[in-house]
Formats: sequence, structure tokens, C-alpha cells
Amino acid sequence: MSDTLQPLHTPIKRRSFFQYAGATAGATALALAGCSKDSDPAAIVPVSSISLGTGDVGMLNYAYALEQLEAAFYAQVVKTPAADFLSGELAYFTQIATHEAIHRDFLKTAISGAGGSLLPTLTPIFTSINFSSRASVLNAAKTFEDLGVAAYNGAGVLLKSQTYLTIAGQIVSVEARHAALIRDLLSPGSFADDNQVDATGLDKQMTPTDVIAAAQPFITEKLDASSVGK
Amino acid sequence: MKLISLLDHLAATPASTSAAPRRAVLAQLGRAAAAALPLALSALPATAATQDSTQDAVLQLLQLERLQAALYTQALAATGLIPAAQTADFQRLLAHQTQHITFLTQTLQGAGSVVPATPTFDFSGRRNVTANPELFPAVFTNYDNFLALAQQIEDFGVRLYKNHVFNVLSDYRLNGAVLRMQSVEAQHSAHVRGLRRSRGATVSNWPSEKDTAIARPAAAQALTTAATGGEANVAQPVSTTATLPTASIFLVRDNTAIQDPALAEAFDEPITSAVAQAALNLFF
Repeated sequence: MSDTLQPLHTPIKRRSFFQYAGATAGATALALAGCSKDSDPAAIVPVSSISLGTGDVGMLNYAYALEQLEAAFYAQVVKTPAADFLSGELAYFTQIATHEAIHRDFLKTAISGAGGSLLPTLTPIFTSINFSSRASVLNAAKTFEDLGVAAYNGAGVLLKSQTYLTIAGQIVSVEARHAALIRDLLSPGSFADDNQVDATGLDKQMTPTDVIAAAQPFITEKLDASSVGK
Repeated sequence: MKLISLLDHLAATPASTSAAPRRAVLAQLGRAAAAALPLALSALPATAATQDSTQDAVLQLLQLERLQAALYTQALAATGLIPAAQTADFQRLLAHQTQHITFLTQTLQGAGSVVPATPTFDFSGRRNVTANPELFPAVFTNYDNFLALAQQIEDFGVRLYKNHVFNVLSDYRLNGAVLRMQSVEAQHSAHVRGLRRSRGATVSNWPSEKDTAIARPAAAQALTTAATGGEANVAQPVSTTATLPTASIFLVRDNTAIQDPALAEAFDEPITSAVAQAALNLFF
């Protein structure tokens, strides 16, 4: 299903990536490109991180990064379904994969619409996930969905534009629905349990930097969320 | 407006040390400093207003949460209604709604606002008048009927929180809490929908055009509208001036836009406070 969803845009061009990443990253990459192994070791700069940006565009890129990760994960789940999936589970994953692909492509368009610099297509790292194991897939899905809900919940108060707050609100409840389904598949009745909802009835929230730190092991590119929403 | 402006002004004016807490909560509720208004006025359903005061928003959310808590309290007390395996599920839903009631009540009290009495909820749809027609039959004797009503009220709740996020923007703490209560409601809805599916209903964990509609009499249409009306929308805003006609952009194959239920499923839709109040009014 999800492979019927074509990306809206051609892969990002190098020049626009440099525009996005800003002078620092661009200059660093150029400097690295110009280095040979014989260069002075002192000239080697550590791999620079990609800043997600500032303000609302930063928030959109932040959400776009998470949706890219989720969409890529579920696309892989659907492409190589675990042999021990129970009846009907592949259909659930197929639907979720489609939702996440729509979120990803929607955010991509919204960032362009905002005149913002677009985060490049990320390269996921899923080596810690065993896609042939139902349990491994469900646990990874739970991690991604819980993280997504906490991310949107923490992001809402940082958004300045009501338009983007509308979008975030419309997406987060769908993510929460995914989270409840995945949790109930893992263990019936584990939806919205005490790990996710606190003693005052409020769902978990996380700051952009905490979310990106949690997501970073699954992403090749080093992301910097320190200025998101600021 | 002048009263509110005055109160906002007062909230921003330095006062004696002893008045500081009062000033803080006034600032917290912002425009809802209308606490000074008579309760009868502030309790009026928001009708034509496109933007409610913070207090209007908190009061309506409190009414919603009280409705949900009453539904689960009565259901858990109804002998033989909820299967033993699901008792803990509904105890959790009730716990969350009770926590939300506490939070919203304390928010109102913190602003010096009068907290209205809890109405006597009537889940038959008769509005506490025996002669009125029954809109929701056998809610506490038939588990499927109960689940169907719970699903609609939870969906309705998700959509109302989505609206009121915009009415509490002046208060950072309340803004965050409203978002976080919303996603709890969404998990409730998804779970109830899953329970219905396990009992043979054609229903997804999210509003979908593939769901079999819950049959209701015309007089109960306000609830259906509040729960799922407009969920088929596929045009979402991408900027302050433009919406993205997702159907024509996302699934273009062979130059043909392809309709897919996922386009609408991927976004939950908000409802206005007027739509919400019409649904709430069915129950008391």
C-alpha cells in the first residue's frame, strides 16, 4: 500500500541542502570534501550535525524528521512482514504505514509552503529491529508511536502559528490512536497505561532535544534540535 | 469587553504582596478573568462565537469530562454489563476522566471562578424527562450499545479538545495540559473502537469512511455530528492562506488522483464549541 505513495518531490538537491543546513554545515562539508588523508589532522572537523532550524519551520522540520522515521519503519514492516504476525495485523500496519507516509509528505509540503528550508531525506538505521519477529516489530512500533505522541504534545506549546498548531493537533490524536492500537496488540489493555499517562491524567510530553536524542540511534544523520521552536 | 479589559489590566497591575496569588491566576486565565461575570452568563453555550474565552473553554471541557466520568461510573456499577476482562480498562478510563475533572476544576478555582454544579446526566437521551423519546436504548444493559455510545463520546471529546487548544493559548500551562488530555482521549477512543471490532463491528481505531456508521435516530444527530461529522475532510491547511488538497496531490498515479480512505484517516478534525454543546445538551 505504502509503496503506492510516491514522494511529492524529487530528492533534495545538494545546493538546497546547503541552503538548508546553513553556512556552517555547508562550509564544513566543503572543507571535508577538500581534505585528503594526507591533510593536517588538525584540519579535520568533526561531522557536523544538521540543525532542524528555528521557530515554526524548525518545529515542522522536527515533526518531518519523526514522520520520516515512522514512515520508513512501517514501510519496511509492510515490505517484509513478520511470519508470526497474527491474522489482520499486516492490514493494521499497512494502514498505519499509509497514514505516516501522508503525514511525512504533508509536512514536506507545509515546510515548502512556509518558505522554510527543508530537512533532507534521512537515512534510517533499523539494525536493532528484527523485522521477522512480531514482538520486535511491535516493540519498535510502540517506541516510535509513544515518542511521536510525546513529541507533538511537547511541541504544541512552542508553535507560534495557529495553522501549524491546527496541523499538530490533527496529527497527534491519530498518532495517539496508533499508539493505543500497537500497545493493545502487544498486550491487550495496555493502552494509555501509567508509563504513558501521568497521575494527573496528562499524556507524556517531551522536549525536542530529548525526543531527537531518543530518535538519534535510528537516524544516520546527526540532528540538532537545540533551536527548534526558539 | 470593557470589564474583561479592566480585569486584564488589573491582572497586569502591581499590587500588594498578599494579592500576588490572585494576580497570578487572573493572568493565568487571561480573558477568562470574566470570573466576575454572573455564572448564568458564563455558562451560556457558546453559539455564534468563533473564539471562546479561556473560561468558556475550561467550563465546556469540564462538562465533557463529567459526562464521560458519569458514563463509566454508571457502566461499572451496572451488574453484568462490562465483561470481567475489560473492567480494568474502564476503570482506567474513569480514572483519567476523574483526573481531568480535578485538573479543570482546580484551574477554575485557581482563577477565582465559580465551578458549576454537576448536572444529572441521562444517557437514555430523554434529558431527565420520562415522556421524552429514548435516543440511546439499553446503554447500561447491552454492552454493544454501551460501547457504541462510549466511542462516540470519546471521539467527540478528542475533537472538542482540538478546538479548545486555541482558546487557552494565553496560558502556557493550560495549553500544554489541553494537548496532553486530548491525546489521552484519543487513546481511549482507539481502545473502545478496538473493543467494538473484537465484538464484530466494522470499525477502525480511527474515524474512517470504512467504518459502519452507528445508527441513531434523527433527534440524536447532534452526537453523531460531534463525534464524526466532517471527518471525511481531506483538505488540510499548509499555511495561513492555503490548504493542501491532499487527494489530488498524494495519490496521483497515471495522472489520476486516487481517493483513499487513509487521506481522511490521517488527520482528526476539530469541532466548534457550538457543535459540541448541541451534543452535550442531549444528556441533561
